[in-house]
Amino acid sequence: MAIDIKKFVIRFIEEARDHINRLNDGLSTLESGSGDAEVINTIFRSAHTIKGSSRMLKLVTITETAHKLEDVMGGLRDGSLQFSPTLGQLLYRAVDALSGLVDTLAENNDVTALPAPDDILCAALTQACAGQLSQLPSTPDAVTPAVNEPNQANSAVDKPNQPIPPHIPAILPAQTKPAPPPPLGEPKLKTAETVRVRLSKLDELIKLMGEVVSSHARMRQRLLDIGGIERDLSENAGPDAASHLHQFAQLLKDDVQAQEALMDELHDKTLLMRMLPLSIVFEPAARMVRELARSLGKQVECAVIGTEIELDRQMIDKLADPIIHLIRNAIDHGLETPETRLAAGKPAQGKLTLSARQDGSWVVIDVSDDGGGIPLAAVREKAVKKGMISAEKGAALSDQEAIDLIFLPGFSTNSIITDMSGRGVGMDVVKQAILDDLQGVVNVETRLGAGTTFSLRLPLSLAVMRVLLVEVDGLPFGFTAQYVGELLRLPSSAMLTVAERNAVIIRNEFVPVVPLSELLRIPAHLNSAVDSANRSKNDLGMLLLVLRVRNEKIAVQVDELLDERDMVIKPLPEHMRRLPLVSGVVTTGKNELVSVLHAPALLEMARRARTQAVRVEAASHTEESHYRVLVVDDSLNTREIEKDVLEAYGYHVTLAEDGLDGLRKAMDGDFDAVLTDVEMPNMDGFTLTARLRQEEKYRSKPIIIITSREKEEDKRRGVQVGADAYIVKGDFDQSGLVDTLRALLG
Amino acid sequence: MSETTLDQVLSQRREARQDIVNVDEPAVKLVIFALGDQYFAFHGERIREILAQADVFFVPGSPASLEGVINVRGDIESVIRPHEMLHLPESTASRTSSILLGHGGGMSSGIRVDRMVDVVDLPQSSIQPPPATLPEHMRALVLGVLKFQEQPVAVLDLDKMFSDYARGLG
Repeated sequence: MAIDIKKFVIRFIEEARDHINRLNDGLSTLESGSGDAEVINTIFRSAHTIKGSSRMLKLVTITETAHKLEDVMGGLRDGSLQFSPTLGQLLYRAVDALSGLVDTLAENNDVTALPAPDDILCAALTQACAGQLSQLPSTPDAVTPAVNEPNQANSAVDKPNQPIPPHIPAILPAQTKPAPPPPLGEPKLKTAETVRVRLSKLDELIKLMGEVVSSHARMRQRLLDIGGIERDLSENAGPDAASHLHQFAQLLKDDVQAQEALMDELHDKTLLMRMLPLSIVFEPAARMVRELARSLGKQVECAVIGTEIELDRQMIDKLADPIIHLIRNAIDHGLETPETRLAAGKPAQGKLTLSARQDGSWVVIDVSDDGGGIPLAAVREKAVKKGMISAEKGAALSDQEAIDLIFLPGFSTNSIITDMSGRGVGMDVVKQAILDDLQGVVNVETRLGAGTTFSLRLPLSLAVMRVLLVEVDGLPFGFTAQYVGELLRLPSSAMLTVAERNAVIIRNEFVPVVPLSELLRIPAHLNSAVDSANRSKNDLGMLLLVLRVRNEKIAVQVDELLDERDMVIKPLPEHMRRLPLVSGVVTTGKNELVSVLHAPALLEMARRARTQAVRVEAASHTEESHYRVLVVDDSLNTREIEKDVLEAYGYHVTLAEDGLDGLRKAMDGDFDAVLTDVEMPNMDGFTLTARLRQEEKYRSKPIIIITSREKEEDKRRGVQVGADAYIVKGDFDQSGLVDTLRALLG
Repeated sequence: MSETTLDQVLSQRREARQDIVNVDEPAVKLVIFALGDQYFAFHGERIREILAQADVFFVPGSPASLEGVINVRGDIESVIRPHEMLHLPESTASRTSSILLGHGGGMSSGIRVDRMVDVVDLPQSSIQPPPATLPEHMRALVLGVLKFQEQPVAVLDLDKMFSDYARGLG
């Protein structure tokens, strides 16, 4: 693969300067004594990122220096080092060295032009890391020859070779040197075909476009208004009088629609101007894979798919860091050594796939490896050991929640620190970048021994998002489309009551139902007028909006769907951004402001409400049983609901996510009963039942099949393979399940 | 003849204006408003705008003291009800209520007041230091007091109110 390294170098320079500014800011905050853990974290992360991206470009000197700096910051972060002015000077000098190196790079635009690392500085940093602060020899020439030497070309601007006056503190050499002029563009650029435009100008244009789109929505509202006037007029003054208005309304409608088409095209074209192909991130990443693998003694093949997909430049910029972190983690933690792989019956060469695909106005980027998977048991243990959660809580976490632990700051399962990863800096950065900066969603799938996939689901652009507007209690609310699974209307009779809460079955899966009005706690004085209207609507059934956050789903009951459109999301005022429920505001055609709800926060609220309900429930069923039950279902929601029901009645529940997982857990443990779904990946419920029946310890244990398959032949098949009971989800209610279980367990 | 008269008139005017300018005492601009039956004021330079009519939109998950958000020519601003902070009973919405757009303490927001009273320029000297009898919760927020239309008016520290409020939300 021929890669033009120059364009990456230019990007690296921009990025590194950004981080160097952050480093300088952070250090001066620390120096002023007002630095807290977050400041240290920021410095640490910046150093970490510079290290990572310079490694991709083989900028050894920069990598080395940034690595040392990161080491020291790591010490400060975990408290093994204390900040002191002397240490601060040393750190400043390291940052200056970095900045000098980046400047050299910017001037020559040549990777090979970098000098060797400054041994004295590196040695001092290493010592500092070990807690021994030594005063550096204070003549700047002796300390930073690597930095100053290549700068001479540049210093033609600021009085060449003049000795630094003695009254300038020697500990801050070369810091105030002006940044060299920006690289003069790539000489090979075909000037006839491209124009360079400042990003800020482009942004202004796009912002203006956003305003035009917003104001056009008002035009559409005017159309509706005029339709209303027309109806009124024809009722009151007869159709003749209205005919002129009707003609006018038709013409206006045509105009608005024509303009809308033009405007949409203009808007798309404007956004396209900022689009860049993903290859900018993927190609250097693929190269990094090979190098990292080699240095770790692993064999890795890297496949890259979908590099032609284009994303907003803003997104591309923010995407590089998370992708690097994920790749590094995959190679360092995920993929095993050739020996381990061969022993496990896998080919010696591991595979890492970087793939992107477009999904509507979203792009899904998968970083997957066929390595050992995330050892969830070790993750739990580590989180407990680090004091992040209590031991009981650790044991009670579902697999999904355990996966979430890896996103906590300071978490890392690898006990040996390598220079690739293992410092626990990566995953919290990844999560923060994707959720907050990119407005996306992270999904992790992992199977022990088979590998891990990180899926990043991202909008194509941050300027405009697809928003669904719904009405509840007469008030409009918005949802960004990335969290909306589907919208469907079900008869009220479809509602089941399971463990003190409502749920419906959607395609073989229990989905809890919560009225949105209940979650939002709308003040009474705002929703007075609509009670009766609501009730009449109930006859049509329930309108459910299914929200999906990672593998979890929840259906919120709403009154009406109002609109679905691309809208410009405006941020809330600064001081309101900590409100978890609302992620922004959109303006409707009627010039109303509508809160855009943050689905993960809604799910969190629903979960909290549920836990309380279950606790109350559990308290009311004091009869303790010590039966252990294994629940096998591929749907997270269904598993959780069945678990809630059973735990409420005092059963001890273990969850498995497919037949194979169920079989493994059944063999490892000793369960008094097994509940299983039928349709599952890897191994279905019938096969699982049949397999368990062959085992001595499960020959006579109750096995219950719970499924949405209602057909008689399925039931027969269930009995054939040896199930004791067959419960159809449609007529599932909690006492039925518990009664069946109780009857079978005796 | 007439020209002379005009000149005379103009010069008289000029003198008259000079007389006014000569009264030279530092003045402060105050925005005086009522919450319930009590009068309060903010310094004029802290208030950007007074909105008599504005649709306020509810934001779920916000505290009761945050009434909602308004659209001020494309910018989203919050509307705060100051009653709780000043330990005053919640008043019901009425037609006389207005929203003051204020900025200070690192944030900007609308403030719901029950009634606008006046915007006045007063000599600095008319503001007295806050009396010692002021209740505890008010002492930190009140910069001074004055009499206006025979009513006591407490001049409030908007910077302090806003920074306290923002901290409360965090």
